[in-house]
Amino acid sequence: MKIHNQLNRSILIALIIMLLPTLVLAQTEVSGIVTAKNGTPIFGANVYLDGTYDGASTDMEGKFTFETEETGVQTLMVSYVAYEPFMMAADVSQFKNISVELREDVNSLDAVVISAGTFEAGDNSKVSVLKPLDVVTTASALGDFVGALQTLPGTTTVAEDGRLFVRGGDAGETQIFIDGVRVFTPYSPTTNNAPTRGRYSPFLFDGITFSTGGYSAEYGQALSSVLLLNTIDEPDQEKTDISIMSVGAGLGNTQKWEKSSLSFNANYISLAPYVAVFPNRNDWEKPFETFSGETVFRRKFDNGIFKFYAAFDASNFKLTQEDINLPEGLRFRLKNKNLYTNASYSGSLGNSWKINAGASLTHANNEIGVGENDIDNIENSAHFKLKLRKRFSNRVKLTVGAEQFLTDFVEDFENPFAEARYGFNNGISAVFSEADFVFSRKLAMKVGARGEYSDLFNDFTFSPRASIAYKTGKSSQVSIAYGDFFQQPFNDILKFQQELEAQKTQHYILNYQYSANSRIFRVEAYHKKYSNLITYDTEFPSFDSSYGNNGDGYARGIDLFWRDNNSIKNIDYWVSYSLLDSERAYLNFPTAATPSFANTHNFSVVGKYFLADWKSQFGLSYQYASGRSYTNPNEPGFLQEKTRDFNSLSLNWAYLISQQKILYVSVNNVLAFKNINGYQYANTPDVNGNFNRRGLQPATDQFFFVGFFWTISDDGTDNQLDNL
Amino acid sequence: MKNLLIIAIAFISFTGLAQGKYEKGMTKAFELWQNEKPWEAANMFERIAQAEMDNWLPPFYVAQVNVINSFNEKDETKLTAQLKKAQDFLNDAKALSKDNAEILVLQAQLYTAWVVYDGAKYGMTYSQKIAQLYNEAYKIEPTNPRVAFGKTEWDMGTARFFGQDTSKFCEDLKKAVALYETYEPKGPFHPQGGVEYARGSLEQNCKEE
Repeated sequence: MKIHNQLNRSILIALIIMLLPTLVLAQTEVSGIVTAKNGTPIFGANVYLDGTYDGASTDMEGKFTFETEETGVQTLMVSYVAYEPFMMAADVSQFKNISVELREDVNSLDAVVISAGTFEAGDNSKVSVLKPLDVVTTASALGDFVGALQTLPGTTTVAEDGRLFVRGGDAGETQIFIDGVRVFTPYSPTTNNAPTRGRYSPFLFDGITFSTGGYSAEYGQALSSVLLLNTIDEPDQEKTDISIMSVGAGLGNTQKWEKSSLSFNANYISLAPYVAVFPNRNDWEKPFETFSGETVFRRKFDNGIFKFYAAFDASNFKLTQEDINLPEGLRFRLKNKNLYTNASYSGSLGNSWKINAGASLTHANNEIGVGENDIDNIENSAHFKLKLRKRFSNRVKLTVGAEQFLTDFVEDFENPFAEARYGFNNGISAVFSEADFVFSRKLAMKVGARGEYSDLFNDFTFSPRASIAYKTGKSSQVSIAYGDFFQQPFNDILKFQQELEAQKTQHYILNYQYSANSRIFRVEAYHKKYSNLITYDTEFPSFDSSYGNNGDGYARGIDLFWRDNNSIKNIDYWVSYSLLDSERAYLNFPTAATPSFANTHNFSVVGKYFLADWKSQFGLSYQYASGRSYTNPNEPGFLQEKTRDFNSLSLNWAYLISQQKILYVSVNNVLAFKNINGYQYANTPDVNGNFNRRGLQPATDQFFFVGFFWTISDDGTDNQLDNL
Repeated sequence: MKNLLIIAIAFISFTGLAQGKYEKGMTKAFELWQNEKPWEAANMFERIAQAEMDNWLPPFYVAQVNVINSFNEKDETKLTAQLKKAQDFLNDAKALSKDNAEILVLQAQLYTAWVVYDGAKYGMTYSQKIAQLYNEAYKIEPTNPRVAFGKTEWDMGTARFFGQDTSKFCEDLKKAVALYETYEPKGPFHPQGGVEYARGSLEQNCKEE
C-alpha cells in the first residue's frame, strides 16, 4: 500500500519542526511486559493510554516502552487477539516496569464448545459438520434436508418411511423447530412404501442444528432428538428462481427493500409422467400430486429482527397396493392439506438482555380412505414461546423462558357398518431455565431444567439437563451430557384415550471430538433409558383397547463420524457408522424385543468431487443397513427374525452451465439392489398350516431425477462498466 | 523551493495541535505499514481509532491491514481471528460512515479472503454477496478506481471460472486502471492505494493486448 506520498512526508517533517519545542516538555516513560497466564511473552500486543495516541506494540519478548506527555490518572489498555482486553487506571508515573497478565478470551475461536449430541450445519460454527449446501448436494437426499441428515450417525435407515429415526427411537420422538418454534406436522404424506420428505425448502434456511440427544432445556416434547432450522436473516439479493424438473416445476422470487425483504416460492410436483414411463409396484389410479407454497417476510429494526414464515401445501393420490390377505389389493387414497405459519421476533433489550418471542399455528387436514374405511381428521395446533437471555459476562449467561402448546384434534371414522367421532384437546404449559458457565477456554458447563404441566393428564413433569465440555488438547475435546425428556403419547393413541401419562427417556452421553485442518472426527457413546411407554392390548390401537403406561426399554450404542475435506484435492467426503442395541416392551408387544425400525449396524459414505474443468460436481452416497426385525408366525417368538441387509448407492451430477444455470441429474440405487423392508404374513395359514408371506418392497427400486435450475438476478454477468 | 513548501505547510498545520496529533499518528502508521510492519501499523490505527471515535478512517485501516494479510494465511485459527477482527472494525467504520463505497469494497475483499481460503465451503454463500457489494459500491461511486477495478476483476474471475470469454473485460480493466490517475482522494489519509496491484492484474489478465 503506497498510501504515503510526498505531501504526507512534508507534513511529517513540518510537524517535527513544529513540535520540537514541545518535546522539551516533560515526558513520562511507560514500560513493562505483557505475558499470558502461563508466563509466555505475548508478541504484537497493543499497549496504549486510553483516549490518547500514546502507545506501542510489544516486542518478541513481550516488552513495551513508550513516552507520553500525559499526566495525572490515565487508563492503560492492553489488547491482543483471543485475549480479554486488560485495563488499569493509575497515575502515569506508576506505569513503569509493570507486568501485565492477559486472560484468555473464553469466546475465542479455539475455546471449548459443548458438542455432546449436536451436529450443526452452518458457515462458521465451531461444531459444524455439514455446510448448508451439503443438504442439496448429497446424492441420496434429492434436495430434502431430512435425507441429508440421514447420512449422519445416530440415524437408522428406514427406507420406506423417510422420517428421522434417531438412536432406537421412533420417528415421532424427533421434533422439528423453525426459528425456535415447533412444527407440528413436518412431513409430507406418502404411500407406505415410498419415503416421505420434509415439507420445507432447504434454500430458506441457513442454519441447521441436529441433536441426537442431550439437548437444551429449551426444547421439550421430544424423547429422542430435535432438529432446529433457522430461516435466513437477510437474503443476499433480489432474484427469481425457476426450476424445471422431471417431476414438476417451481418458481421463487425474492424482493429486498431497505429494512425488509420478502421471498416466496411455489412448487408443483406430479409423479404422473414419471409413473407412466417407469411403472412401479403400486397400481396408481391418481399418481402422487402436490402443490406447495412458502413465503418469508423479514423486517429489521434497530435492535432486532422480525420474521414471518408461512407454508401451505396440498397433496393427493389414490392407488391400489398389493396385500397378501386381499387378492384384489388394498385401495388407499389420501388428500392432505397443511398450513403452517410462524412469526418470531428476536432482538436486544439493552443491558445485555436478549429477547426471542415466537408463535406458530398449524392447520392440518387429512382425508384418508383405506379399503371401505373413510377417515377424516383435522388438527389445529399452536405454540407460543418467550425466551429471555441475559449475558452477565463472557463467562456467565442465563436463559429463562416459558411456552404454551395447544392441540385440538378431531377425527371422523366411517364405514358401511359404523360411524364414530373422537379426538382430544391438549394443552401443555412449560417453563425452562438454563445457565451457561465458561470457566476457562478449556472448561464449560450448561445446566438447565424444564417443567411441564399437561392439562390433559393434569400432571406435572420436571426434567433436569446438564452438559460439560473439557478441552483435552489443541484440537480435541470431551463432552458429557445428561438429561430427562418427556413426551406425550402420539395422536394415534391420544385420540382414543386421554387418561395417560407422558412417556419418558433419560439420556447419558459421552462424546469425543477432534477437529483440525478441515477434518473432523467424532465418536459418541450413549445410553438411553425409556420408561412410561404406551401399551395396549389389541392388534391396532382402537376405541376398545385398554391402554396403559407400562412400557419400558433401552437403546445404547456408539456413533462414529469422520469428515475430511483436505487430504485429497477437490474431494470432500464423510463416513458415518452407528452401532445400536435396543429393545423395548411397548405398544402390544408380548415381550421385550427390538422394534423393526432399530437395526444394529448403519453405515454411510458421502463423497463429493469437484472438477473445475468440467464445471461439475459429482456426488456419491452409499448406505448400508443391517437387517431389520420382523415376526415370522411360522416359528415361535416375536420379532425374532431379520430381513437381509439393505444397500443403496446413489450418484449425482451438478453441472454449472453458467453462473446462473445449473443442470442436476441423479440416480438413486444405481446398482438396483433389491431391498426388502420387512414381510407381510397372511392372516390365516394355508392347507399345510403355513402362513404365506409377501416381501415389503419399495414402490420402486431406483429413482431417476433430472432438474434444471435457473436463477435470474441483477448482477449476473451483465457489465455496467461499459457506460463509463 | 522545497523549504518554502515545508514552511507553507508548517503554517497550515499550525491551525491546531489536536489535528496535528491525528496527522502525526496516521502518518506514523502508514510509515510502519510501508516498512513492512503491518501489525504495528494496525495497532497504531487501533490506538487512533479509540482516540478519534467519530472518524471512520482509523477503524477502516485496522480492518484493511487484517484483510490484506489474510489472503495468504493458511492457518485457519489465525485466519478466522484476523477476519473476525477485521469484521469488527469494519462494522465500526460502517456505523460512522453510511453508503461509503470504500467500505463496501473492503467488505467484498473480506468475503473474498474467505472464498480464497476455502472455495468449496464459502464460495456459494459469499460469491453472491461479493457481487452484490460491488454493485452497490458501483451505484454510489462509479468513478472510484477501487470500485471499478474490484468489480471488473471479480466479474472477470467469475467468467473465467465458467469458461467464458474474458477478453471483453480487458477494456473495462484498462479504464479502471486509468481511473487511478485521475481520482482525487476525498481528503487527507483517505484511501488511494491499489494502483500497483491493478496494473499487475491488468498485465496478467490481458496479456495479448
